[in-house]
Amino acid sequence: MKLIQISNLSRIYQKGKIIIPALQNIDLEIEAGQFVSIVGKSGSGKSTLLNLIGGLDRATAGKILFNGNDLHTMSRSGLAQHRKKSVGMIFQSFNLIQSRSALENVDLALTFGGVPRNRRKAIATGLLQKVGLGDRINHLPDELSGGETQRVAIARALANKPTVLLADEPTGNLDSETSKEIMELLVDLNKNQGITIILVSHDQESARQVSDWIVKLKDGSVDEIILREEAQCV
Amino acid sequence: MRVSDMILLAFANLRRTKLRTFLTTLGVVIGIGALTSMVSFGTGMQKNITDALAANDLFTSITVTPKEINLHEIASGNVAQMANALKQESIPLTDSLLREIRNIPGVKIAYPNLEFPARAVLLGDSATTRVQAMPAAMGTFKPFDDLLAGNFFTNDTARQIILREEFLQRLKIRLQDNNSDAWLSKEDSVQGFKLVHPDSLINKTLRLVSLSMNASKIPGVISNIIRNKPEMPFDETINEMKIVGITRRTSEFGRNAFNGGVLIPIETSQKIPQLSFSSVWDLLGSKNSGDEYGSIQVRVENMQQIDPVAEHLRNMNVGVFSIIDQLDEIKRVFLILNSLLGAVGAIALIVAGLGIINTMVMSILERQREIGIMKAIGGSEKEIRMIFFTEVSVIGIIGALFGLVLGWLVTQVATVVVNTQILPDGMEPVNLFYFPAWLIVGAILFAIIISLAAGLYPAARAARIDPVRALRHD
Repeated sequence: MKLIQISNLSRIYQKGKIIIPALQNIDLEIEAGQFVSIVGKSGSGKSTLLNLIGGLDRATAGKILFNGNDLHTMSRSGLAQHRKKSVGMIFQSFNLIQSRSALENVDLALTFGGVPRNRRKAIATGLLQKVGLGDRINHLPDELSGGETQRVAIARALANKPTVLLADEPTGNLDSETSKEIMELLVDLNKNQGITIILVSHDQESARQVSDWIVKLKDGSVDEIILREEAQCV
Repeated sequence: MRVSDMILLAFANLRRTKLRTFLTTLGVVIGIGALTSMVSFGTGMQKNITDALAANDLFTSITVTPKEINLHEIASGNVAQMANALKQESIPLTDSLLREIRNIPGVKIAYPNLEFPARAVLLGDSATTRVQAMPAAMGTFKPFDDLLAGNFFTNDTARQIILREEFLQRLKIRLQDNNSDAWLSKEDSVQGFKLVHPDSLINKTLRLVSLSMNASKIPGVISNIIRNKPEMPFDETINEMKIVGITRRTSEFGRNAFNGGVLIPIETSQKIPQLSFSSVWDLLGSKNSGDEYGSIQVRVENMQQIDPVAEHLRNMNVGVFSIIDQLDEIKRVFLILNSLLGAVGAIALIVAGLGIINTMVMSILERQREIGIMKAIGGSEKEIRMIFFTEVSVIGIIGALFGLVLGWLVTQVATVVVNTQILPDGMEPVNLFYFPAWLIVGAILFAIIISLAAGLYPAARAARIDPVRALRHD
């Protein structure tokens, strides 16, 4: 089943008279339950594509059909609903609210999801336990290691049971050992819970190990699609 | 997002910047404090005056004069108009007219306003005063139905007298209070003041010395002046009167039914030789002879009877004056006063509003990344806007509540200061401020409206933040 259908997608930024084509004529189809990686050099348009799928940004042209709904024509509140219910996002810089504890960061996502207060604490605690942070729920992000912080971000991203997890270089700020743990956690979520994962990475090698297929972007265009079998042969 | 969650989130956000939130809220507290204390002064003055009028039953009182006197024209100082007013034909206020007035439906009592100057002598001290006369039947009307000591007159011919508490001060008498240990200050003792229990004055005799014109002495006045032995053409009459009552202190605001120093029964008054040109109406030339009265006081059954009785009286071509007619004017004056005082307070609150804008804009600049995160995890523009609105509402509500407390404290201190100044002068303690429910509710609503208005721009700005850029923000 096609979960995401991207056709002829372009995103052009304009600053004064300077026009920057971040993405040009992208065509992709992602099925539910797949683990897809988007790789490419810095500035190739990976994060832009992820932001468009996540509804954080709007395309200049083209279509993104998510479960058949066109994100390009969706209202702003519709996009907010998409971010709230359909996707969960994790970032290289974690993007936790520093003044809130691990539990409170997860709780905030549940609050936006409209979950009643009396159920939120149990759900948030359960999610943090699931990512291995059951004993650190009341710690502030500053009091956690990079890997732990990213785990909190993953727990937060899972709070409203998203269909897709969008991970924008989630291991970019982590050491290799911690990166491996995070990647294993993502694979586990994909394999055992069926969550579709779209991973943005500049590291094609680590992407190759976990992905069903890889999209390689170059200068805003799809340079190459590498299927799992091919990926594993590389 | 639920409203309760929004409120909890707002409190949590405000707690993060305690000092800034405190200072911003303090601005609202001062604004509301200034607004409420100023407006409560206006409403307090208005209440004091209307309460004083009501306590004296003046809302059911009508003063009848021989001719219509336009107080506005007199107050304007226009000589031509004043002269014109004096030239108007006047209707003599005679006993037969008084009887006619008493028969008007709705009239409970009508009596002539009689007063004359005299000197009162009691416990070795004397003081000049105005003697007012009233029928014994007035004992059932306010404020004479509730005396500080004793009772009202038994009949209209008794040689009885009622003293006004304020007048006793002039006879160097301080009254002992049952509820407190009154004492004489050193200054009082030096001045010869006596501390007396009010009940002990009842049944005591007061000598009332009245003056009357002696026409036979007038030719001798000039020769006496030439001989440097000035002597006025008056006779003195000493009237021994039994003290039967003492009235309670009256408010310093408004007009009182009893504003002389002493009160005697009406028929007793008519038998005492006296100079009778003490009233305003007499000076305006309305009183022509000894058989006519300067003015007549009328009390009606209730406020609704004022208009029909006044209309009836106007049809008799006499002048009619009632406080009710002036009430709209009083209200208009106080509306203007309250508006001016309110405007000054509102300026303070608007300045506080600018403080809120500044705080919220600063907060948004600092929280750009947080706003981006909230959007990334599903926060809609409306929810982000509402979060900031809730934060300013919390500032507004807390500011309003503490502002009301501050305003109340300021008025209490001011009341204590004013009373400290006026009590030694023998005046009744006053409360110059009044907080009606509409002022309390209005101040809270006004603070919230100003806060929300101040939050409009920052909240809209927060909602418009581009999440992609905000997430990159350091």
